[in-house]
Amino acid sequence: MYDDFASPWNIRLKWVYLLAVVFALLMPVFYTIGISFNQHGFGARIYEFTFDWYRVVLGDTLLVVSLKWTLYLALATIAATIPMALLSAKFYKRTRRKVAFVALMLSPLFVPADIMGSSLLVFFKNLAKGFAWLGGTLGVGWFDGWFDLGFLTAVIGQVIYTHPYAFIVILITMSRYRVQQTEAARACGATAWQAFWHVEFPQIRVGVFSSCAFVTILSFNEAVRTALLKGGFDTFSNMLVAQMLNIGMSGESYAMAGIMSIVSMLVIGSVIVYTLVRAERLERRARAMAEPVMSS
Amino acid sequence: MREAMTESADIAVEVVGLGKNYGAVTALKSVSFSIESGKYYALLGPSGGGKTTLLRLIGGFLRPSAGRVYLHGSDVSHLPPNRRPTSMVFQNYALFPHMTVERNVAYGLKLLRVPAGDIRDRVDRMLAMVGLDGYNRRMPHELSGGQQQRVQLARSLVLERDILLLDEPLASLDARLRKDMCLELKRIQEKVGITFIHVTHNQEEALTVADRIAIIADGELVEEGTARDVYETPDKRFTAEFIGDNNVLEGAVADVSDGRVALDIGFAKVEVPAPAAAVPTGGRAAFSIRSELLRIAGRGEVMGAAWQVVPAEYVEEVYLGLTVSHLVRLPDGTEAVARQMSGDGDGTRFEPGQEVAVGWPTDRARLHLA
Repeated sequence: MYDDFASPWNIRLKWVYLLAVVFALLMPVFYTIGISFNQHGFGARIYEFTFDWYRVVLGDTLLVVSLKWTLYLALATIAATIPMALLSAKFYKRTRRKVAFVALMLSPLFVPADIMGSSLLVFFKNLAKGFAWLGGTLGVGWFDGWFDLGFLTAVIGQVIYTHPYAFIVILITMSRYRVQQTEAARACGATAWQAFWHVEFPQIRVGVFSSCAFVTILSFNEAVRTALLKGGFDTFSNMLVAQMLNIGMSGESYAMAGIMSIVSMLVIGSVIVYTLVRAERLERRARAMAEPVMSS
Repeated sequence: MREAMTESADIAVEVVGLGKNYGAVTALKSVSFSIESGKYYALLGPSGGGKTTLLRLIGGFLRPSAGRVYLHGSDVSHLPPNRRPTSMVFQNYALFPHMTVERNVAYGLKLLRVPAGDIRDRVDRMLAMVGLDGYNRRMPHELSGGQQQRVQLARSLVLERDILLLDEPLASLDARLRKDMCLELKRIQEKVGITFIHVTHNQEEALTVADRIAIIADGELVEEGTARDVYETPDKRFTAEFIGDNNVLEGAVADVSDGRVALDIGFAKVEVPAPAAAVPTGGRAAFSIRSELLRIAGRGEVMGAAWQVVPAEYVEEVYLGLTVSHLVRLPDGTEAVARQMSGDGDGTRFEPGQEVAVGWPTDRARLHLA
């Protein structure tokens, strides 16, 4: 809320500061994107606009395959994380120990990515050994390959990483929801599921879809945990990091970074714009409902 | 236990030993009562007394910690709300904000898979009954508070269930609208003829709509009776203090004879009609007298043989529009209120500090042992 008596210059200065910070943070990203469109790559004195580097990336079978794997990883992570985050948010609304519950839900964020990745790596290795031993002891082959590093272990790592974010996003949307509406639906004859699907979900849909977008972005951006847990396939981030470490930044690397940055910004930007528009609409509705009730 | 309760086909709701605990906190302590079919029943009491908990237990929104709920003779204690023959109107925020008025009202019918044509007819008929003809396409946020409550009412009534639960349905409305809606609710209840159970902390609201009133406080059923009973002849001291504008005085029972209890209130000995229950001599008891029955006169003025009279000091007059309240102080420091209609009386005026006499008809006082 603005203070009516504050100097307008104070407000302008705050905006200048905010824009300067955002600019400083995003400058390297825009710089990288700029290079990715230069025919002569990084450090050249001449700038010639081109899509050639992007054509090279999209023509490289290995990179396209890694893009596909990343997409599969994102979809599998969404399929697991979003229902879990939704259930967690619903449980949060019912629990009386809210602080402890939130701390528990957010705890994966406080573990550094490499520590979490290596811990899971050791855990899955031992788990795989345990199942192999169990199969051997029972004389059956059912447990062969369980928790060997691969797509499943990478998905589990991603779910642990993305769940706190999805939980928070859904919880924020859910905070506007009034539980009386669920009770009203039940009083009209709806089962618990029908009340959720007909009444609650339409009102928290924006949070659920935002979470989906967020989880997708996080899946595309994550490299460390996936590198440790992925087994035999490569994601787009893994390819980019490997390329940078082995042969340095090429024009192709800039284009790969550009693809990830542009897609991320477009998705997140769309979500933010949609959320803001939606929030404004809800705000107007809430204001209308909060107006003093007068005789009709 | 249940055998002790009235077994009748006309009983719509019967609760037996119903209790609810939240951990160590007891919200409702073993409440038992029954409601006849087609009656307008009010659960009245102070906030936090357990009346909403009781309503929610009847509706199936809470699982009882003890006791049973019978609706039309069937034990529904274990059933969720959607499997009970009840519907409910909430205090507020209960309309589905993403649905139009029409879709809100039609929601329950759609769940019942009623044919679309029938749904339209029933919704239109119900909206007309609650005075919202032509509001079908409006969104809930486009309605006033009173209109939103009417939509809730229509949404519940359209299901044609036998029992309608109303949880403080008028609490968020302004005074004028509340009054109008009270009469409207009563009219609708009489028209549809189903059982209404209405939770409120507003005694005027309860007295306006209810055939019978249950006073709920501290998780207990304090008293139950017709609106006239609980207002004019309250049995419990709490009821007397909660309903109407009663003066309550306390004293020791000096004597019990000839249907009268002589009570020593410290500065005077007064007579009160004896209740049906036995009154032990020497014990403490209270009596109440409604403020509109109290009369103020000059000292020494005779009020009548059937009146009890005590000395007092006049404090002040408070003009309340329809009525005027006269505040007096009794010799033990207790303040009492005498109320009369504005413009009534013989025009006698008293000055603050003036010594007066306060009297009331003996047979109109009520003795309270609890």
